[in-house]
Amino acid sequence: MRVVIFLITWSMISAAPCSTGRVFVTNERSDNVSVIDTATNTVIKTVPIGKRPRGIGLSPDGKEIYIAASGDNAIVVLDPESLTVVRSFKSGNDPETFAVHRNGNIYISNEEDAKASVFNPETGALIAEIEVGIEPEGVAISPDGTRVIVTSESTNMLHLISIPEHTILHNILVGARPRAATFSADGKTAYATSEIGGEVKKINVETGRIIRTKSISDDEAKPKDILISRDGKRLFVAGGRASRIFVLDAHSLEIVASIPVGKRVWGLALSRDGKHLYSTDGADHQVSVINTELNSVIATIPVGKSPWGVLIDD
Amino acid sequence: MPQVIENYHKTPVVGDKRSNAIDSRLGRKTNPPGCSNFISACVRTTLFALLMLHLTEATSTPSTVRISFIGPPNSDPHLGARQGILEANVQGKFLGIRYELVTTQDSTDAVGARPTAIVGALSPLRLLKLSDDASGIPVFNALAPNDELREECRTNLFHTIPSHTMKIDALQQWRRKHPQSTAEVTAWHHSFKKYAASQLNRRYEKAQGKPMTSEAWAGWAAVKLVADTIARTQDVSPSDLIDKLQTNISFDGQKGIELSFRGTGQLRQPLLLVESGNIVGEAPVRGIVESTNLDSLGLSDCPK
Repeated sequence: MRVVIFLITWSMISAAPCSTGRVFVTNERSDNVSVIDTATNTVIKTVPIGKRPRGIGLSPDGKEIYIAASGDNAIVVLDPESLTVVRSFKSGNDPETFAVHRNGNIYISNEEDAKASVFNPETGALIAEIEVGIEPEGVAISPDGTRVIVTSESTNMLHLISIPEHTILHNILVGARPRAATFSADGKTAYATSEIGGEVKKINVETGRIIRTKSISDDEAKPKDILISRDGKRLFVAGGRASRIFVLDAHSLEIVASIPVGKRVWGLALSRDGKHLYSTDGADHQVSVINTELNSVIATIPVGKSPWGVLIDD
Repeated sequence: MPQVIENYHKTPVVGDKRSNAIDSRLGRKTNPPGCSNFISACVRTTLFALLMLHLTEATSTPSTVRISFIGPPNSDPHLGARQGILEANVQGKFLGIRYELVTTQDSTDAVGARPTAIVGALSPLRLLKLSDDASGIPVFNALAPNDELREECRTNLFHTIPSHTMKIDALQQWRRKHPQSTAEVTAWHHSFKKYAASQLNRRYEKAQGKPMTSEAWAGWAAVKLVADTIARTQDVSPSDLIDKLQTNISFDGQKGIELSFRGTGQLRQPLLLVESGNIVGEAPVRGIVESTNLDSLGLSDCPK
């Protein structure tokens, strides 16, 4: 009987998507990943990954972490449990940013080739290539997996693309150098940052029309990463050189708070419960932990050189 | 004088999205539901398909925007302009706009081509004459640094190459910080990596076969400014373009900060300090002025 209970319990645990409660940070200039335990907010291990690690993502089953090693033109696969590199595969030139689809495929922007590529991370096979504008950068997939936005930095466009047809449905002109995008939970609205344009735009996904634009008046602000809160009411925008995270009302795009963090804040990640936001402060070589109810920094964690991307596995 | 017309169109790769759209439309219509008369259904289908094909071809014919280049062929400003056209056509592909570069060494031909804009690599006198002949058309100066051209304050003259005074101001700021420096000032350098400069340098060198110089950057910037402004404002009339270039551009020239035109027609921009072939600094020089104070370089505005 005990054996049966044990077997049932064991199979339930191993069947459920596992989460390690760890935060993973890519350190662009020290070629490694810092692993942070969220219980203690300290680095428990630093794993060498490959040359110039930047983009980072989690497989749908939580068993694999993907890291774009831009200098190796490869995606490196890390086991979040054992913290060992299990394999890697070639992913086209200079992979930087990517998004993981719920079907497991990875959508990568190929900055030098004006393309986005779709890879199967299990086999490393190239599934599709989509022609986009010059210097593709940000990639964001809608929660239901039917849409992907790719930003083209030099062409100043967002390309709204259907999945799985990979047809471009809308090409939306935005402010100079669009960086990152994110979708609302119902997939009907998208939000995107323009770094040099210094703005955030709100887009109707169905029509491709711009609903609203917010210019971030801080001259130093070069908005980069953008995330939506779990309740959909707020946006978090990494302010780059402004060394602040801007909190916006998702409806009106008005700035409701601005949180000073470390220098050159680029990457953002939000805990599953929405209560904690992690930022990579690139020029201060640290990660800031923000309490989103108080909109203030509660911890800073020194990591490797020039932290770029951050992922929470929770 | 012979004209050379170049499209610099990238040939579409397999999976060109427009042809897929046409295919799927034709495919869906070959089996209309609920047909009673098979033959008339086939005729209807064929006619419909032909109509769809015609409409698709008609609506997908891009509008053409012509830009004239006047100056020595294969000079750096010319190569820069060609690179600009290549990139403009990538953006244009998504908007149904096709850009053409008309190259000539004759002012009359440059204007006669009825362009939306003209990019010139000319001596100051020839540039001023071109500006006269091309009234109502934006004329870009991608070569001459002479201050007098800026002091003219002509509405249709836009200088993407920096002026003498801008360079002197940059050097003065730099020398206040580094009194012994032998650095020189330039608008662009092929080893510039910051912001998105390395991406531009890489793709220019790959396409044009040589490193990008300041004059090439100035030619490239002129074409990109035209294309981006047209895309943004959906307007191709030259006189409206003059107005929009003065008031409504969103462009960083891959130099990391938003650029804009002064009343003098000069493009405000950061500059580079180069010593022995290496970039040693940027102007406006941080610590001497705000690094975002682009008006600290050059003649700031026109006399009222």
